[in-house]
Amino acid sequence: MTDASERRSPNAEDAVAVVARGLSKSFGKTRAVSDLSFDARSGEVTGLLGPNGAGKTTTIKMLTTLLPIESGNASIVGIDVARRPDAVRRVIGLAGQSAAVDEKLTARENLELFGRLYKIPRAERMKRVDYLIERFELGDFADRVAETYSGGQRRRLDVVASLIAAPPVLFLDEPTTGLDPHTRTELWSEIRELADRGTAVVLTTQYLEEADRLSDSIVIIDEGVMKASGTSADLKRDLEREVLEIHVADRKDLTGAAASIAGVGAESSADPEGTRLQVPLTGGARQSLAVLRGLDADGIAIADFQLRKPTLDDVFLAMTSRGGRR
Amino acid sequence: MTTTADLDRQEPTATQQIGWLVQDTVTMTWRDLIRTQRQPEMLSFAVVMGVFFLLLFYWVFGGAIAAGAGVDYIQYLVPGIFVITSLTGAQQTGTGLAADLSEGVTDRFRSLPMSQFAVIAGRTIADALRNVVGILLVAAVGYLLGFRFASVGGAIGAIALAVGVGYAFSWMNAAIAAQVRSAEMVGMLSMFWLFPLMLASTVFTPSEQMPGWLQAFAKWQPISVVGDAARDLSNGIPAGDAVAWSIIWIVALLVVFVPLAVAAYRRSR
Repeated sequence: MTDASERRSPNAEDAVAVVARGLSKSFGKTRAVSDLSFDARSGEVTGLLGPNGAGKTTTIKMLTTLLPIESGNASIVGIDVARRPDAVRRVIGLAGQSAAVDEKLTARENLELFGRLYKIPRAERMKRVDYLIERFELGDFADRVAETYSGGQRRRLDVVASLIAAPPVLFLDEPTTGLDPHTRTELWSEIRELADRGTAVVLTTQYLEEADRLSDSIVIIDEGVMKASGTSADLKRDLEREVLEIHVADRKDLTGAAASIAGVGAESSADPEGTRLQVPLTGGARQSLAVLRGLDADGIAIADFQLRKPTLDDVFLAMTSRGGRR
Repeated sequence: MTTTADLDRQEPTATQQIGWLVQDTVTMTWRDLIRTQRQPEMLSFAVVMGVFFLLLFYWVFGGAIAAGAGVDYIQYLVPGIFVITSLTGAQQTGTGLAADLSEGVTDRFRSLPMSQFAVIAGRTIADALRNVVGILLVAAVGYLLGFRFASVGGAIGAIALAVGVGYAFSWMNAAIAAQVRSAEMVGMLSMFWLFPLMLASTVFTPSEQMPGWLQAFAKWQPISVVGDAARDLSNGIPAGDAVAWSIIWIVALLVVFVPLAVAAYRRSR
């Protein structure tokens, strides 16, 4: 079943819907977001990927007018966020950890409430509520109070609530965190479909897999700073490098080991409290052999080593060379 | 259907904005009334509170206090209890709003194209409507104990003033709640205004036995002023001045606390 209103003209899909330029925000001395710039296009999912505390939610809150923009500027479908917050609120939907539903109301009442607040005329609103309940299969629990819902039901209502006014731009702040794999996959296909119908979806996630599966373009941020951006394929090429993880037998050898690794032309990052070194490999198995031979020749005892596929952590290590955090 | 995108370009006119403010306030009142119904423990507490005070003061202190009241004590007490019911109801505006602020749904409201004033206005109005129920219950129990209104007009006037002053204090408490953002803090802070206003007043007893300085406070503070007006109206005593002072108090409290509450709410993000 389709709703004509959710389909947009093909040229609208080429448009840049969200423009963020040099966004910054501090809380006290902590710089939550620093000079962040990116675009999000209609008909695409743009993923903001980063670990907890990376500044993703702060970014979403600034773009959705929940937090004032400290410096830099942003516009949503051409409307300046700082100067015309009310106008911006009319073209966006927000769901996820930055927003929620009324726990004491049923799904139907929640949708009715948000529809009224968007000033959707009554007849249209009732049709829209019925349509959304059917389209997103909320029927089983539509007339139960939201506080009785399972995590998945609640999250789905949360996302559906942000669709009540068919906004051209949709912000989803960690929409699938805490969901079981099945519910997550279902939600992914629903989000994908919204984008395919022309909505600009901006979603934050800490899951590499989610960004990979769902996003047309990915912005990797950490500690408030953009580390990389590009299509999923672009980034993956970078990420497909393997990582050699080395445990030295004696902590004191850590510095020496790093020097030795640098000596054979590889980079490494160390865990200052432990005995671990991570070496992102650019030259495959040959390079890992060179690193290990180098260490052996320099007389550094190795307790253990392993070659593994990169994780999101490794991406950050590779991009930020700040191995100390974990 | 009209998508929101069609509305985004032009700025709304002032008339449109006022229309939306009214519409949003009605919507939020509807939402808060549903929430009130779904929390029966809160609802019954608020509604029964007045009856509790009525019975407590009537039976426990009634005989001792009656002397000096000049009228039958039940005639003295019941209109005052209307005001007390409304005042304790106003306290729940604060705890309710503080709880609301801690829920994510408030963030969603902030991201919607709605009047943020309506978030507080809806709650204060829903609480005022609940206070009407509480006051009617007090009147009904009062009737069983022998209380009588002198006239229908007087009854409506007395109840309207009691609800009005409670409404004004709802805004005061909303301002506190938006500032401290914790239901526990709001509850604790209410001790500092609720009890002095309730007990250092002419609601339960005339102020003649109080020390001079307290007498002045007890005579002029809003709860006494409105309590006196409600009592005169209920008993068919000419109440022009008391009613005028009551309205002045209610308006003054609203003029101070509505902007404070809205400003604190806007800051609390």
